[in-house]
Amino acid sequence: MKRLMKTALLATTIAAGAAFAGAAYAQDSVLLPNLSYRTGPFAATGTPLMNGQRDYMTMLNERDGGANGVILNYQECETGYNTEKGVECYEKTKAEGAIVTQPWSTGITLQVLPKSNVDSMPILAPGYGFSAMQDGKVFKWAFNPPASYWDGASMILQNISDGNLDNLKGKKIALLHLDHPFGKEPIPLLETLAKKHGFTLLPIPVGLKEMQNQSAQWLQIRRERPDFVVMWGWGAMNAGAITEAVKTKYPMNQFVGIWWSGLDADLKLVGDAGKGYRTLSWSYPNNESKVMKDIKQLVVDAGKSMLNTSTGEFDWVFYQRGVLISAMLAEGVKEAQKHFNTKVVDREQLRWGLENLDFSEAKIKELGLDGMIPPFKTTCGNHTGHSGAWMLEWDGTKFVKASDVLQADRAEIDALVAEKAKEYADANQPWPMNDECKL
Amino acid sequence: MLYRTASQFKTSYHADHALFPVRQDAWLLGIILIFAYAIIPMTASEFTFNALLIPVLIYALAALGLNILTGYAGQLSLGTGAFMGVGAYACFKIITAFPDLNIVVAIALSGFFSAAVGVAFGLPSLRIKGFYLAITTLAAQFFLVWLFEKWGWLYNYSSSGAIQVPNIEMFGIIVAGPNASSVTQYYFVLAVVTAVTWLAINITRGRIGRIWKSVRDMDIAAELVGINLMKAKLSAFAISSYIVGVAGALFVFLWRGAAEPNLFDIPLSFRVLFIAIIGGLGSILGNYLGAILIVALPVVLGTLPGMLGIPIQSATVEHLNVMIVGATIILFLIVEPHGLARFWQIIREKLIMWPFPH
Amino acid sequence: MEFLNSILIKPFQDMVAAPDFLLQVLWEGLVAGVLYALIALGFVLIYKSSRIFNFAQGIMVVFAALTLVGLHEKGVPALLAVPLTLVVMFLLAVAIERVVLRPLVNQPDIILFMATIGITLFLVGFGELIFGGENKVMITEQLGIPTGSLTFEPFGGFVSIEQKDLTAVIGAVVLVAVLLVFLNKSKMGRAIRALGDDHQAALSVGISLSTIWILVWFIAGIIALATGIVWGARAGVSFALEVIAYKALPVLMLGGLESVLGAIIGGLAIGILEKLFEIYWGQPLMGGNTETWFAFVFALIVLLFRPQGLFGERIIERV
Repeated sequence: MKRLMKTALLATTIAAGAAFAGAAYAQDSVLLPNLSYRTGPFAATGTPLMNGQRDYMTMLNERDGGANGVILNYQECETGYNTEKGVECYEKTKAEGAIVTQPWSTGITLQVLPKSNVDSMPILAPGYGFSAMQDGKVFKWAFNPPASYWDGASMILQNISDGNLDNLKGKKIALLHLDHPFGKEPIPLLETLAKKHGFTLLPIPVGLKEMQNQSAQWLQIRRERPDFVVMWGWGAMNAGAITEAVKTKYPMNQFVGIWWSGLDADLKLVGDAGKGYRTLSWSYPNNESKVMKDIKQLVVDAGKSMLNTSTGEFDWVFYQRGVLISAMLAEGVKEAQKHFNTKVVDREQLRWGLENLDFSEAKIKELGLDGMIPPFKTTCGNHTGHSGAWMLEWDGTKFVKASDVLQADRAEIDALVAEKAKEYADANQPWPMNDECKL
Repeated sequence: MLYRTASQFKTSYHADHALFPVRQDAWLLGIILIFAYAIIPMTASEFTFNALLIPVLIYALAALGLNILTGYAGQLSLGTGAFMGVGAYACFKIITAFPDLNIVVAIALSGFFSAAVGVAFGLPSLRIKGFYLAITTLAAQFFLVWLFEKWGWLYNYSSSGAIQVPNIEMFGIIVAGPNASSVTQYYFVLAVVTAVTWLAINITRGRIGRIWKSVRDMDIAAELVGINLMKAKLSAFAISSYIVGVAGALFVFLWRGAAEPNLFDIPLSFRVLFIAIIGGLGSILGNYLGAILIVALPVVLGTLPGMLGIPIQSATVEHLNVMIVGATIILFLIVEPHGLARFWQIIREKLIMWPFPH
Repeated sequence: MEFLNSILIKPFQDMVAAPDFLLQVLWEGLVAGVLYALIALGFVLIYKSSRIFNFAQGIMVVFAALTLVGLHEKGVPALLAVPLTLVVMFLLAVAIERVVLRPLVNQPDIILFMATIGITLFLVGFGELIFGGENKVMITEQLGIPTGSLTFEPFGGFVSIEQKDLTAVIGAVVLVAVLLVFLNKSKMGRAIRALGDDHQAALSVGISLSTIWILVWFIAGIIALATGIVWGARAGVSFALEVIAYKALPVLMLGGLESVLGAIIGGLAIGILEKLFEIYWGQPLMGGNTETWFAFVFALIVLLFRPQGLFGERIIERV
C-alpha cells in the first residue's frame, strides 16, 4: 500500500513536470482540440469524421507549415459520445490552453454552452448542436455553421413537397429520431410547420438501447403507413433503420435522412436494396479538388493518416465532411490572424474569426474545396451562415447529387430561433448578451 | 509507536462507545479534514476541482447510500443511477417551481422523493431475495430512465428533453449554475458530504445499523429474535435512497450543470456499485477510497500519456483505459474481496503493533 | 370509460382487425425471443455449474462476432474463420478460468458478479483496441446463410419472413436440442449437472472442477458465437450489441436461474409479450419505447408470485 502511494506521488510529480515542459515548446502553435468519439456505439459515424478533421490539419501543417507559420495543433480527447467524459475533456483541454472546443454531441454542447460564456471559449459545432445557436447576439460564443438542424428540417420538407409545403396537406410524415437531445432538435420546427401546412407529424423515438433492434419502430411505421419517413439518426441507429426499412419493404424514395444519416458504410450494409434512399448534406465529396489531392499525397500516401484504406473511406461523404469542418476552423484562425495582425490567436480573437467566416464561391475555389460545400457567410448576428444543402441519393454503391442547392425557409426559422434563444437566456439568468452586435 | 493504544483505557461504557475510542483515529481524521477544507482548495487547479475532487466526493456520497442498502442491510441494488436521477429531477422541479428557495433546502427535500420511490421499489424485497431481488431494482432503473425521457413535465417540456441548472445564489454567492466558481462548489459539496457522512456513521453504529446487520447476516434468524423485517428492510431502502437522491441532486446541480435522461442509465449504477464493492461493503471509509480509485484512475490514466509526451491516439488511450479499469476491478476483487477499507484496517492493526511483531 | 376502453378493448380490436399485421408482430417477437433465450442459455449453463451470475455473456456475443468478422477481413475464408473463432473462444474460456475464476473460488456471489462486470469492461476495451469501434457487416452470405425474404399473404395482407431470421430460429432449435442431449446423455454433461447440484460431492467422486469450468465457459462461448452471427446478421456487428445482455437478465429471473427450459420459455415469452405490449399498448398510449423496461417489470410481477421464477429450484431456507 505504501509503495503504491509512493508510486502515485512520483507519477504525479513527473506528470506535473512534463506539463510545464509541454507549455514551453507550445510557443508557436495554437491548440485546437476535438472531443472525438472513436469508441462506443456511435464510433461508426465518428471515426471517418475525425479522420477527415485530423487529416486536413495535418495537411496544412505539412504543406503550409500551419496557418501563416503557426502550427495548428490538432488534438483529440476521446469522449465515446458520453457527456460525462465530454465535460472532463472540455475542462482538460481548457486547462491545456485550448482556444476552441468542438463538443460533437448535442448533450455535451448543452453542458458546455453556459460555461463557454464564463470561460470565453468558442464552441464550434458545424452542422450540429443547438439550432438556436444561430442567434449570435444571445449565443456569443457558439457557432454552428454552415447549417442548423432547423435549416435541415425545412430543406427536407421542401424537397419532398416539390418546393411547396402546401403539397403536404393531409399527408403523414414520420420522424424517426434518436431519443436524445440531438434527435429531438427538429421537433419544435416540424410541429410549427405541421400546424401551418396541415400535415401530420408522427415522432417515432428510438431509444439508445434499441438502435440496433428497431423492429418495433418499423412495425409502427408499417401500421401507420406514413407518406414519408424522415430520419434523425446517428451512429449504429442509421444502419439499424436502413436494414429494417429494407425488411419492411418501405419504399426507399420516401425515406430521407438528415446529414448525419448518410454514412456510406451504413448503406453498404444493404447495397442495392438501399437504392433511392436520400440524405440531405451540406458537403459533397470531390476527390479531384486540390485539397483532397493534397491530403492524398501529403497525408494518406505518406502514411500519416488513420484512414482505413481497405473500405474506400477516402471517398466517403463523412470523411470529406470532416475535412470541411477543419477547413472552417482553420479559416477562422486565419481570419483572426489577419484582422488582429498577430500570429498566435487567443480565444477572443478566434471568436471574431469564426464570426467573420466568408466562404464565398471565390474563397471556396481559392482554398481548393471546389464543389464540396455551398457558399455561406457568418456574421456577429448570424452564427450559422446558412449554406443550404444538397439532397444526395444512394445509387447502390455511392451517394450522388439528386438536387441543386436547397435553401431553408428563413422566415419560419428565424422567428423560432428568436423565440427559443430568448427562452434559453431567460431560463439562465443572468445571461450575458452580445450588445455590441448591431446586425 | 505512533499508533500505540496503550495507556488509553476507558472507565465507562459511554467512553468505550465513543466515536473514536482510539485517540489517534481522531487525530488522523482531523488531519484529513484540514487537508480537505484548507490545504487542497488552496492548491488545486480548476481542472482538479471539476474532474477529480468534486466528482470523487459526489460519487462517494452515492456509494455511501448504496452501501447502507447493500453493505449494511444486505439488499443488492442495481438501480442507484435511477434513484440519483429521481433526486436530480426532483431538485430541478423544486428549484424551478420556487426559485427563491434556498438550495440547501431544495436538495434536502429532493432526497425525500427518491426515498419514497426507493421504498416503493423496495417492497418486493420482502418476498424476493438474492439475485432475484436485483430484478426489482433493475426494473426501477429502466422504468425510471424511460419516465425521465417521456414525462415532459419533469423537464418543463424543454425541447431538448434535458434539464439545465440556472444560476442559484445563496447568501449572495452563486453556488450553482454556469457562473459558480469551482471552489465554492467544492466547499458546498464537501459540507454536505461531511454532514451526511457524520449522520451515516452514527446511524450505522446505532440501533438501526445493528438491526440492518442482523438482517443482512441472516434475515430469518433476525426475524426469530423479534426484528420486524419489513421495518428493517424498508428503512434501509428509505435512508439509502435518500442519500442517493441527495447525491443525485448534487451530481447535476453542483457538478454537471445539465443532464439528459440517459445520464442516469445503468452504467452510472454499475459505477457506483463498483465504488461500494471495491471500497468495501459495510464500511463508510471504503466509499471514499473506492471513489478515489474508480473516479480518479481513468482521469489520471487519460492525462498521463499526454503529460509524459508519449505519442498515442486518444482513442487508444480510452481503450486501454477501459481495459485497465476492468483489470483493476478483477485484481482488487482477487487480492482483497473485502475492499480497500480492509486494507486500511490491516495497516492500522500493523501500526498498533509496530514496532513489535506480536 | 374511454380510458378503460383504450386499455382493455381497443388493442384487441386492432389485433383482430389486421390479423396479418398481428402475425408479423408475433413473428418479430419470436425472433427476438429466440435471441434472448440463447443469451440466457449461456447465463444458465454457467450459473448451474459454478453459481456465477455471468454478466459478461453479452460482451462475449459481441467479441465472438467481432472475431469472426475480423478474421474474415484479414482474408481468412469464412468457413475456416468459424473454427478459428471457436479456438479464440476456447482460449478465452481458459484464460477466464485461470485468471479470474480460480482465485475467486468460494467468494460471495456478488463478488463473482462484479468480477464478470470487470471481464466485460476488459473485453470492451480489448475488442475495440483490436477491431476498432466501427459497425461491421456480418459475413452472412459467406457463411451460406440465405438472405432473401419469404412473403406470405394470409387474410389479404402480407407477412414477410426474413430467411436469415428463419435460419436463426432453426439454428437455435438445433443448438438447444444438441445441448440438451449433451447435458442429459453424455458423461461430461452429467458431470456439469452434478457440479451444479453439489460442488463438494462432485469433487469427491472425481469430477475435475477446472476442466468442467473451462468446458462450460467454452460452451457459453459457442452459444455466444451463434447468437452473434444471428444478431449480427440482423443489425451489423458493433459494441452497441452489448446492451442485449441486459435483456437476458429478466429472462433468467423469469425462467429461474438454474433452468435450461426456463431460459428458453422465458426468452420466448418475453420476446413475444414485449413486442405485443409495445405495439398495442406502448406506442398508442405511452409514447413508445416501452421495450426498454417491459421485460423487467413483467419479470418483477411474476416473481412476486413465484419468488424462484417459473422453473427455478424452490428456495428452501434453513436457520
